[in-house]
Amino acid sequence: MPYILQTHHLTKVIGGKTIVKDVALHIQKGEIYGFLGPNGAGKTTVMKMVTNLWKPTEGTVEIFGETLTPQSYEVLKRMGSIIEFPTFYDHMSGYENLKLHAEYMGYYEHGSIENAIGLLGLSEAAGKLVRNYSLGMKERLGIARAILCKPEFLILDEPTNGLDPAGMKQVRELLRMLCTEYGITVMVSSHILSEIESIADTVGVINHGVMMKEISMKEIEQMNLAYTELSVLNQERAAYVLSEKLGITNFKIVEDGQIRIYDSRVSTQELSGVMAKNGVQVTALGVKAETLEDYFLKMTGEVK
Amino acid sequence: MLKLIKLEWKKNNIGKYIVKTVVMVLILGLFCFALAYFGIANDPDLGVPDAAPGNEMISSSIEIFTDMSFLILTSVMLSSFIVSAYKNKTMNLMFSYPIKRQKILVSQMLAVWLFNFAALIVAKVLIYGFIMAGSFFMESSFPIDFDMTTLNFYIQLTFKSAITVTMGFIALFVGMAMNSSKAAIVSSFLLVLLTQGNIGDVTLAGNIVFLVVLAGVSLLFAFLSVSRAETKDLP
Repeated sequence: MPYILQTHHLTKVIGGKTIVKDVALHIQKGEIYGFLGPNGAGKTTVMKMVTNLWKPTEGTVEIFGETLTPQSYEVLKRMGSIIEFPTFYDHMSGYENLKLHAEYMGYYEHGSIENAIGLLGLSEAAGKLVRNYSLGMKERLGIARAILCKPEFLILDEPTNGLDPAGMKQVRELLRMLCTEYGITVMVSSHILSEIESIADTVGVINHGVMMKEISMKEIEQMNLAYTELSVLNQERAAYVLSEKLGITNFKIVEDGQIRIYDSRVSTQELSGVMAKNGVQVTALGVKAETLEDYFLKMTGEVK
Repeated sequence: MLKLIKLEWKKNNIGKYIVKTVVMVLILGLFCFALAYFGIANDPDLGVPDAAPGNEMISSSIEIFTDMSFLILTSVMLSSFIVSAYKNKTMNLMFSYPIKRQKILVSQMLAVWLFNFAALIVAKVLIYGFIMAGSFFMESSFPIDFDMTTLNFYIQLTFKSAITVTMGFIALFVGMAMNSSKAAIVSSFLLVLLTQGNIGDVTLAGNIVFLVVLAGVSLLFAFLSVSRAETKDLP
């Protein structure tokens, strides 16, 4: 499948401080790409460079097969974006703001504004001045504006900020629909995994400006995240037994007397039997599953 | 380009500025009228105008007050069209459009320039006309030293208006460099002092060479304001 967006060694240094370093992103056409990372990880910086608002210090952005330069204006027609919080002209109504956007984009398809307003459930609010909008309404209007001109590639920076749970769900469903029905490729950033995991096809994780991993959700599902947790009184002895008698090396001592074994070949019965035979007193034994959340937290290093 | 300028007017609520300008011109007109016919600047003992040297004629007062007001208005509008747009991040939105950044900035500057240029010409013609109409019925304290029937009067008026409004670009440059609307407006006051003020008998007001040089400098500053836009990151 062709990539709609690729970055090569993308680096941004501001005032001697490296904000993002050597980022390689790969987004396939027609997928929803979840861009995940804690606050301040560099998500917005990458997105600003992708939309050509900021210019990379080093590296390149390749979008629709073209490398971005400061003079790349035509590609902007094919993209819709919200970077940081959407801004509007407060003294104008929501409808007028969208109309203005269409004028600047040079997009004049009849009924497109009404359509975007309808999709975001803003029909009642459209006539009101943006000044009187709530945070959530502005966010919706921002999404309406981003999809107004039927972009091929939609870039949304934390689009569910300020939305209530029902609103978040609505946005998620909308993104899924845009992707499947209109074939729009979506890049959506978030610092909350649960927001993304249900809709994303691929997830990219960034932390401290460095790309940690890019992985498709399918791969994650296939990955074995289950482990056996073993509590013993004598951990040195137990570790010795695990590696020497059972030939298991993929285990970790998490805290005093607690061992996690990431090897599905060994059954709990066998484990307890061997331990008992070698004089290791087992106090607890069970199979547990690591949640996806744990997995990402581990990757971003927030939990030791 | 014309379309971009119109859009600038629309989204910056030009109607609001039209109302403000009309009010300002009315006040200016009344003030100049009062100077000429109600003797508000007259010395109470002598009954003749207490004017600074070089300002004995009515036209110099009209010029000073209109130029001063419009230079400040131009700077205020430039800072609200451009400097504030950077500050409140609507410029981020503007720069996400498939339009050259320089073109966007030029359209914003022209939107302000054209508005003020036209308004200043209209304001001056109206005020001069108002004073002249008064002279048919009353005696002016300041000598009437202009002739509205000559073409030369209008050429000079247009030329001077263009220079005055162009000077606003110096204020814009300062405002953009410091990312502050206040800095832009304060600079416009300094420009007023520089161009209209006097120290004793020394003044640069009315010195045509100086004004042309200043207009040239203003255009240079305008060029500097847009030249780096393509590669510069937004704040």
